[in-house]
Amino acid sequence: MFDSTDWKVADRRIGILFIIPFALAALVFMVYPVAEAVRLAFYEHNPLRPEASHFVGLENFRTIYDDPLFWKSFQQATIWTACSIVLQTVIGVALALLLHLPLRGISLFRGLLLFPYIVPTVVIALVLQWMLNAEIGVVNWSLKSAGLIDENIYWLATPNMAMISTIMLNVWKYTPFVTICVLARLQTIPLELYDAAKVDGAGTLRRFIDITLPQLAEVLTVVVIFRTIWTFNKFEEIYLLTKGGPGTSTFNLAIYSFEQSVASLKMGVGAATGVVMMFLLFTGSLIYMRVFKFAEEETA
Amino acid sequence: MNPVALARQALAYVMLLLVTFVICFPLLWALSTSFKLPQDVMASPPTLIPREVTIANYRNLITGKEQYFHGVGKGYVPSTAAPQHFTSWFTNSVVVSLGSTLISIVISTLAAYSITRFRYWGRRIIPYFSLLGYMIPSIILVFPMFLVMAEFRLTDSLWSLTFGYVSITLPFCMWLLWAFFRGIPIELEEAAMMDGASRLRVFVDIVLPSALPGIIAAAIFSLIVSWNDYLFARVFINSIEQLPLTVGVMHFFEGVHVDWGLMMASAVLMTLPMALLFMLMQKHLVAGFGAGAVKG
Amino acid sequence: MSIRLEHIHKSFGSVEVLKDISLEFPEREFITLVGPSGCGKTTLLRILAGLETASSGAIFHGEQKVSDLAPGKRDVAMVFQSYALYPHMDVFRNIAYGLKVRGTPKEETERRVREVARVLEIEHLLERKPKQLSGGQRQRVALGRAMVRKPWLFLMDEPLSNLDAKLRVTMRGELKRFHLRLETTTVYVTHDQLEAMTMSDKIAVMDKGEVQQYATPAEVYNRPANIFVAGFIGSPPMNFLSGAAISGGELNLDCGDAKRAAIAASPLAGNESREVVLGVRPQDIAVHMAAVPHTIAAEVSLVQLLGSEKLVDFNYGLREQVTAQVKADSLLEAGQKVWIGLDPAKLHVFDPASGRNLLLEN
Repeated sequence: MFDSTDWKVADRRIGILFIIPFALAALVFMVYPVAEAVRLAFYEHNPLRPEASHFVGLENFRTIYDDPLFWKSFQQATIWTACSIVLQTVIGVALALLLHLPLRGISLFRGLLLFPYIVPTVVIALVLQWMLNAEIGVVNWSLKSAGLIDENIYWLATPNMAMISTIMLNVWKYTPFVTICVLARLQTIPLELYDAAKVDGAGTLRRFIDITLPQLAEVLTVVVIFRTIWTFNKFEEIYLLTKGGPGTSTFNLAIYSFEQSVASLKMGVGAATGVVMMFLLFTGSLIYMRVFKFAEEETA
Repeated sequence: MNPVALARQALAYVMLLLVTFVICFPLLWALSTSFKLPQDVMASPPTLIPREVTIANYRNLITGKEQYFHGVGKGYVPSTAAPQHFTSWFTNSVVVSLGSTLISIVISTLAAYSITRFRYWGRRIIPYFSLLGYMIPSIILVFPMFLVMAEFRLTDSLWSLTFGYVSITLPFCMWLLWAFFRGIPIELEEAAMMDGASRLRVFVDIVLPSALPGIIAAAIFSLIVSWNDYLFARVFINSIEQLPLTVGVMHFFEGVHVDWGLMMASAVLMTLPMALLFMLMQKHLVAGFGAGAVKG
Repeated sequence: MSIRLEHIHKSFGSVEVLKDISLEFPEREFITLVGPSGCGKTTLLRILAGLETASSGAIFHGEQKVSDLAPGKRDVAMVFQSYALYPHMDVFRNIAYGLKVRGTPKEETERRVREVARVLEIEHLLERKPKQLSGGQRQRVALGRAMVRKPWLFLMDEPLSNLDAKLRVTMRGELKRFHLRLETTTVYVTHDQLEAMTMSDKIAVMDKGEVQQYATPAEVYNRPANIFVAGFIGSPPMNFLSGAAISGGELNLDCGDAKRAAIAASPLAGNESREVVLGVRPQDIAVHMAAVPHTIAAEVSLVQLLGSEKLVDFNYGLREQVTAQVKADSLLEAGQKVWIGLDPAKLHVFDPASGRNLLLEN
């Protein structure tokens, strides 16, 4: 039978038991890979000849520093991210405003919002490749029928259009996130603020600028920073559409890292790129936390 | 209602329909293409509703037979990666998604309960540690994980994917379930303990049912992430039969001609389970994302 | 078999929540632990339940030491302040849970649950889920869950505080009736002194982790052990007049102008002179329209009608204030000048430093 303090000991054992699977999984699947990723950055590692792997210090970093493709990738990543974020934010906010309207059946439309998120990136990439096909794609046909263009646009075969195409994919897939966050915030703005402004004589645009935007400032800052951090490191959204091409015109750091490890068989260089990405990510997060704290204090 | 307001409402609806169109069109177009004969696929002008509906593409994917269409010039050359592997890819995706979800859910449920109900060193940092893990892009993790899998000789098998996906789903599941478990009042468990239930019994009878909404949300998230992943499968798997759908369908590009009808059919079939999940679990999805803050 | 707490001591980190509590609860009695927030009463209850462990000390059920037993093994049932009903189970299964865990056969469980439901008049709710019930109904279910196990001890943690005022009064009576019927020892925690007074066989008044007094309601009302108990028990609260002193066999009160009026013969034995704090309940103050021996001049400052009584605030002396309770038909008005007399038989005299009731040491 149960004796004295046994039940507390047994009870505590369960608590420890329950956390062990996570501790193990975290160690093997989270801590170790990251540590290994950092380690690899200082080694030359050919995945087909692992026994020849050896320590090379900072040489991998030197390699990417000297590689013009690295800087091109960095620049392209920045452009890609900036364009995506701007579009996502503007469209996202506009959508949120639209969905905030008290129309009948609006919940149906709201329900549709997360659909792009659940569609596999591969699928939308495939479909876009089909739709953007220069000769037989529906987009070119529609544009020509509408008289907007005379000749087929090579959406995926020219550097600029490829960039635009990948941005379109990114915007399609992730704008709903912005919308959801903004919509949630919109729904907490007290209606009396608008009533008071109306009484004071403010028109629709004025009301948006003076009331809505300030209220959204905080959530938008958070959303923008978060989306920026995420968008900068995206792999599939570009790779599956263009493979980083044509040539290397849609390379970003993630694709650069991938190519180094898989095509050039230089896993060390790929890992070094990864370390750079992690560093940028870390810095971005710090900025996020600073701003977030700042925003929290503002509203406190 | 006055005409200005009416006009405004009409405009709003028009814009909503436009947005819906933009969101849904790609899949609708894929659906349309998938039911067309190859001559209709290439035809100009393209129509949304197929002139003649054919289920040939789907039949070929499911039965795995190479396809030849009559009446299209001198026979029709199929893709190199014939559809014979499609059903394998589908099963692989199902197995790996379900498997990794199960593992992640079990681990994170137990862990979330532990850190919210017991006291020991480090329990407070675990959720934030998970959050940190979640933010690391998979491109950084995939190659070290590949080496780990190679160590255990698991590469080119579904196990490697299952475990790989645990690494990307576990952090967010942990964060979400932690937030959820915190909201379950501890008096419920105390009442059950007073009723004579042992700790394990309390966990099964009282805590798990209360945590069900959170667990479902985490499971949905996990299923979606695992099903949709490309990168891990691309790096871990070589042989064509072991691939999941995401990498598999990209092989359709390797034929002499790109068979768009077939590709679109595969795109539709690949999206179908997710769409089903999406429809069934509408409210859980939004609630779950609300609990864990929206990230992408 | 009584319940004994021996030198219970509890600290959370460096905060001492309970200091050396020793109490005995006789069998079948209704004991209330009452006191302000933070006095330790809920912690003590949880220690009795087994949900917390005392830092030192022991608990005995009769001769058996139960301090180290798991909560489920002490044959104790508890009603939580928030009721803690299992949200995913219907009312029947909520009540039956304790029996189910103990492996009670289905027919017996069914019978006992239905009987308890009948007694509590919730039979028609057995199929419903907690979120479909009102506050009062949920409370009955919580009671039912405790009662069905026929435990040896009931613990109740402020079960009435979430109910509206009217329901609270009704439930007070019902709880008391249940107690009389079930004849189970009950330990009840509340911050409401009225609940404590009306329902208990014995009251333990607690403050700052210590038991200030443990006695019957009558004792605690008429012979409070110290200023805290005197001020906590009774509504409206007792008036405490400072500037009182005993000298020369008389009780004097400072009325301003450095004058001291003798308002009563000293209730204490002995001849010593000392400063005291005078306590008098609003009900024990008489209002006179003319100066009468042993009264103080005062002015009415506020009159509040309660219904069948009026509460009258008076100013006397420099800026002292005292409240009296008078009949509603009294014609007192603000600004009126009157004389107040204190009922000598109902005076309480406290030591200013320690707060002890000096009368009890007589």
